Amino acid sequence: MLWAVATILFLMFRLMPTNPLAAYIDPTFTEEQQQLLMAKFGLDRPLWEQYFIYLKNLLQGELGDSFFYRQPVGERVLELLPNTLVLTFSSLIVAYLFGIIVGAWLAWKRDSVAERATIPLVLTTRAMPEFWLGMLLLAVFSFTLGWFPAGGTRSPGSEYDGYLALYTSRDFLSHLVLPALTLAIYSQGLPLLLMRSNMLEVMNEDFVTMARIKGLSNWTVVVRHAARNALLPVMTSFAIAVGYQIQGNVVVETVFSWPGLGRELVNAVSASDYPLAQGAFLMIAVVVVLMNLLADLLYSLLDPRVSHA
Amino acid sequence: MHSETARAEPVKDGTILRLIKRIHLPLDDPFALAGLIIYAVFILVAVFADQLATHNPLEILFTADYQLAADLRPGEDGFVLGTTSLGRDIYSQLIYGSRSALLIGITAAFMVAVIGTVVGLLAGYFRGWIDVVLMRAADIAFGIPFLPFVIVLSAFLEPSIWNVVFAMALILWRDTGRVIRSQVLTLRTRAYIDAARVAGSSDLKIVFRHIAPNILPLSFLYGSIAIGWAILTEAAISFLGFGDPETISWGYMLQDAYASQALSTGGYYWFVPPGICIVLVVVAGFFISRGYEEILFPKLKE
Amino acid sequence: MRKFLTMAVLLAGTAAATSAFAAGDKIREITLTTRPQAAQPQEFQFVQLIAQEWRKLGLDVKVDVMPWEQMADLVWYNRDKWDTTGWQMVGRPERSDPDELIYNLFHSSTAPKGYNFIGYSNPELDATVEAQRVETDPDKRKELLHKAQSILAADQPNLMLVHPKSTFAFDKTVWNPATVIDQGGIGIKNTWTFISMEPTGDQKDIILNSSDNIQGINPLWISGGTDSWITELIWDRLLRIGPDGLPQPWAAESYEWLDDKTIELTLRDDMKWHDGKPVTVDDVKFSFEAAMGDEAPMYKPFVGNIESIETNGNKITFKLVNPTAAFLTASLAKLNIIPKHVWEPVLADLATKEENAEDYQEETPIGSGPFKFSSWATNEEVVLEANKDHFSPPKAERWILRIVPNVEAAIGMLRSGEINFLADFSGDPKILLDLMEQDGDLEVVSTVDMGFRYVAFNHRRPPFDDAEFRKALSYAINRDLIVGAAFRGFAVKSNSVISPALGFWHNQSVNDFQTGTDVAKSILEDAGYEIKGGALHYPDGVKETLAQ
Repeated sequence: MLWAVATILFLMFRLMPTNPLAAYIDPTFTEEQQQLLMAKFGLDRPLWEQYFIYLKNLLQGELGDSFFYRQPVGERVLELLPNTLVLTFSSLIVAYLFGIIVGAWLAWKRDSVAERATIPLVLTTRAMPEFWLGMLLLAVFSFTLGWFPAGGTRSPGSEYDGYLALYTSRDFLSHLVLPALTLAIYSQGLPLLLMRSNMLEVMNEDFVTMARIKGLSNWTVVVRHAARNALLPVMTSFAIAVGYQIQGNVVVETVFSWPGLGRELVNAVSASDYPLAQGAFLMIAVVVVLMNLLADLLYSLLDPRVSHA
Repeated sequence: MHSETARAEPVKDGTILRLIKRIHLPLDDPFALAGLIIYAVFILVAVFADQLATHNPLEILFTADYQLAADLRPGEDGFVLGTTSLGRDIYSQLIYGSRSALLIGITAAFMVAVIGTVVGLLAGYFRGWIDVVLMRAADIAFGIPFLPFVIVLSAFLEPSIWNVVFAMALILWRDTGRVIRSQVLTLRTRAYIDAARVAGSSDLKIVFRHIAPNILPLSFLYGSIAIGWAILTEAAISFLGFGDPETISWGYMLQDAYASQALSTGGYYWFVPPGICIVLVVVAGFFISRGYEEILFPKLKE
Repeated sequence: MRKFLTMAVLLAGTAAATSAFAAGDKIREITLTTRPQAAQPQEFQFVQLIAQEWRKLGLDVKVDVMPWEQMADLVWYNRDKWDTTGWQMVGRPERSDPDELIYNLFHSSTAPKGYNFIGYSNPELDATVEAQRVETDPDKRKELLHKAQSILAADQPNLMLVHPKSTFAFDKTVWNPATVIDQGGIGIKNTWTFISMEPTGDQKDIILNSSDNIQGINPLWISGGTDSWITELIWDRLLRIGPDGLPQPWAAESYEWLDDKTIELTLRDDMKWHDGKPVTVDDVKFSFEAAMGDEAPMYKPFVGNIESIETNGNKITFKLVNPTAAFLTASLAKLNIIPKHVWEPVLADLATKEENAEDYQEETPIGSGPFKFSSWATNEEVVLEANKDHFSPPKAERWILRIVPNVEAAIGMLRSGEINFLADFSGDPKILLDLMEQDGDLEVVSTVDMGFRYVAFNHRRPPFDDAEFRKALSYAINRDLIVGAAFRGFAVKSNSVISPALGFWHNQSVNDFQTGTDVAKSILEDAGYEIKGGALHYPDGVKETLAQ
C-alpha cells in the first residue's frame, strides 16, 4: 500500500521536466560544482538504480537529504509533524463536539424552522475556500480587533522545553485559536450532517420506539438511546476526517504562518527540493493511510447494527 | 454519462427525455431547486459573458489621461466593481470567472462521475479479479493525499486550470467508485437482474440497461459534489501560486487580490465578490446533492 | 558568421530602406518569458506592458509565464531556446564593487556557462572590463568603468528598465529613527542598523519578518538571502562594506597595500568568540584556508586569487596572484572569520566523507560578531542575543526573525506590534505609505537599490544579434510608464547595470535617450526593417531561420 504510494511519488518527482539544480544558480557556480552536486544526490545514475536506492533507503526509514536545507529530510519532517497534528486534531475535536451536539439537536428539532435555516448555513461553511475564510478571520479578529496574534505558534523570542511545554502554554493556545477555528468551521459540517442523519435513522428503529412507548421523555430518548447509537459511526468518521484534514492544512498553514508539514511541502515543491517534497508528501500519506486503516478497524468493531443486534 | 447510456439503448425519440427522467432532477426540494436556479444563472452568465462583460478581463486599461487605470474604486471612471492593481476590470473578470469555474467544475464532475461509475459497475458486477484490481487501485488512490498531489502535479505541468481536472480524474473517482460498487452489489442480487440473465441478456446489456440507470442518481450525487471540490481546489491551488495567470478564474482573482494586499488597502470590492461567487456555485452543488440524497435515501426525509 | 551576415545586411539595409520593395522574411513570433504574478508582481506587470508596446511595432509577441525553476532551467541551461525574458539582479553588499556585475554579465568568457547567459560578445568591452579589474587607482578605474557603461549603452545588450527602491518600515515608537542607518543601494535593513538602532522604551527586541524559510546558519555556505542577514550578524569579517558602499576596517583595525599584489592587515586585539576564547590571526588564516580548500565550494571563487597567507604577531599578509581592485570588497569583506577550534576537527572529519561543510549545521553556531546565536525553531523563528562584549555592541537586546510567508499577515503584525521592523516586503510600497499616514507609529524608508530589473535579449537568436533591433525594442519602452505603473513610482529609470546608488562609479550620461513607438519605428526603418501588413519584416534578403 505505502509501497505503491511511494513508487507513484518517486515517478512523479523524477519525471518532472525541470532541472532539479535550477534553484542553485549563482554567478559563481561552475560546471564542476554542478556535476559534484548531481553526483552527491545520486542524480547522475540511471533511473532504475535511483529507484532501488530510494526504496532501500525508505525501508531503513532514510528519506535522504534535502537539496535546499542540506539536512536529513526525516529530521525536518518529524520536527514539523507535531505542529500539523496538533492543529489538525484540535480543530477536528472542536468541529466534532460542535457537530455532534448541533447535529443531535437538529435531529430532535427536525422539520422546525431552526433546522431548515441551519442546514443551508452548514452547507455554506463547507463551500467557502478555507484560505478565504482564514483571511477574513485574520482581518477581523487579528488586524482589526487585535484579539489574537496573526501567525506562528508562539510569541517572538519565547522558548519552551519541548513540544509538551509549548503545546500546553497559554501563548500557544492563543496562537492556535484562529487557524484551528478556520479549520473547525470548515470541517464541522461533516459530523453535523452525519450525526443528524444517523439520529434520524436510529430514532426510527424499534428500540427507540419501544423506549418512547415505555413513556420515557423525548429528551431522554434522544440522549440515552438514540444519540449513543448514532454516535459510533460519527466517531468512525473522525479517523477519516483526520486524513482529509491533514491535506487541507496546506492552505491554512500558509495563511497563518504555521510551521507545519503542509507549508513545508509547498515550499519544497516550489524550490524543486524533491527529497523534502517527497518526504513531506510521504509523511502526510502515512497519516492518511493509517487513519483509513483505523477507520476500517473501528468500523468493524463498532458497527451499530452489530452492537444492538 | 450520455455516451454509455446511448450505447446501451438504441437511439430513438425520447431517449433524452427518458434520460432526464432517469436522473431525477430533484425539483421538489426547495434547496435543490435553489441550487438548480443558481446553476442556471451562472450558466447563463458564462454563456453570455461576451455580452455581459464591459472589458476584456486581461486587458490592461488606461484612463482618459493615459494613466494606468489601477486600483480604482467601484464606480470610478465607470468601472462597476473598480479595477485591479494591474488596471484590469474586476467586474469583467468576475463574469469571465464563471466560465472557468463552470468549465472546471463540470468537466471535473463529469470525469469523476464517469470514471467512478464505470469502475464501480465493472468491479461490482464482474467481481473476481477485476474487482480485486480496481478496489486495490481505489485503496491506493485513498492513500494519496489529494491537495498535495494536485500541488505537485501543478508544479511540474504547465500552469493550467486543467491540472485540477486532471488530478481529480486521477484520484477522486475512488469515492464514487466504492459507493457505486456496493450499490451494484446489492442490485445484482435483485430478481429482475436474474430474470434478465436467464432470458439470455449479455453482461454488457445487463450492466448498462438494467443496472446503470438505477445508479445514475448516485453518480449525479457524486458529480454535483465534485463540482464544488473542483472549484475549491482550483482556488486553493491558485492561492498557493500554482495557478494559471493567463486564465481568469475566481481563484486567480482571489490570489491576485491577496498578492496585491487588497485586505490591507480595504479593497473588499475586489476580495469579497469572487469568494461569494465560489460559495454560491459550490453550495448550489451541495443543495442539489442533498436533493439527490433525499431521493436516494428517503428515510432522511420522514 | 551570422553576425557578419547581419552586418552586411545592415549596411545594405540603409540603402535599401528607401526602395519600396525591399523586405526580408516576416519576423517569427517572439517569446517573452516572465515569472507568475504571485511570485513577481512587478516583473509580471512590466512584461505585460512591454509586450503591448512591442506589438505596436508589428511584432508578434507571446508572453510565456513560468515558475522560477522552469525559467531558470530554460534561460540558464538551454541558452539557445529562448528569445527574451524578464530578469533581475539583486543588490548585495559585496556587489557594491561594480566588478562583479559588469564583468560577469558581459565578458564573453562567461557566455558559454556563466552569467553572460545572453551570449553578448564585444571585444572592446572585454578589454575595458579586464583593464578595470586590475586598475587599483580609483579615478583611472572610474574612467574605464564609465567607458564600459557607454559601450553597453550603445549596444543595448539588454533592455534595462529600473533600479527598484527597496522599502522597509519600522515602528518609530519602539526604535529611535535617528539611529536607523540607510545603507546606499541596500536600504535600512542592514547590519549597521541592527547594531546602532536604539530602543526608546521597554521593548528592546528587534522583531523582524522574512517570507523565506532559513536554509541554514553556516559561515561556510552561501545559502538563502535571508540566511545572510544572520551570518552577517553572528560572524565578523576583516572589513565590512560601510553605509557608503565602500569597504571599511572591521575586525582588521587597519590595512595597507604593500605593493599592488600584497596587502597587510592588522587584527583588533579585543575580540572574543561567543564561547569566550580569543580571536587570533590563526583563526583568520584558517578561515581563508578553509575557503581555499574543497569543503566550502561556494566561497572558493572569492579566494581563488590568493597566492599565500602569512601571519606575524597581530598582522596578516595576503599575497595575490594578480592585482585585483575588487579584493577588498569581494574577498576581505565577504569571508566570515570562523573559530579554528570549532571548525578544524569538523573539516578534518568532513574531508573523509562525501559531504562538505555546506551540509554541516552547528548545534550552536559560534562566531565573534555583534550578535550571538540563541535559538532556532524550524520555519518559525531565529533568536539572536546581543553580544555586549563586542567592540561594536548592539543597542538592542535581542534580534528575532519571524518567518511570515504571507504579506498581508506581515503588515497586520507590524500594525499590531507582533513585529516592529518590516524587513521583507514584496508588495506595493504605496500601501505602506498610506499605512504610515493612518498609523502614526510607522516610519517607511525607501532606498534606490543597487540591484536592477531588465528584459534580457538572447543574442544567439536573430534578430536579437542586431544592435539596432535591440535598440529599437529598448527605445520603444517609456521607462517612466514602467516606473509609474509596475513600480508605483518606487524605482528609478536605469540604463546601466551600475546603479546610481553607487554614485562614484555610475555613468550619468548614459541615461539620456528618447523613447516611444515613433522613435523605435524610425530606428527600425533606418536599419532596413519594414512593417508590412501590420507585421514586422527583416531587412532585405534576411531569412527567418528560427520559424517554428
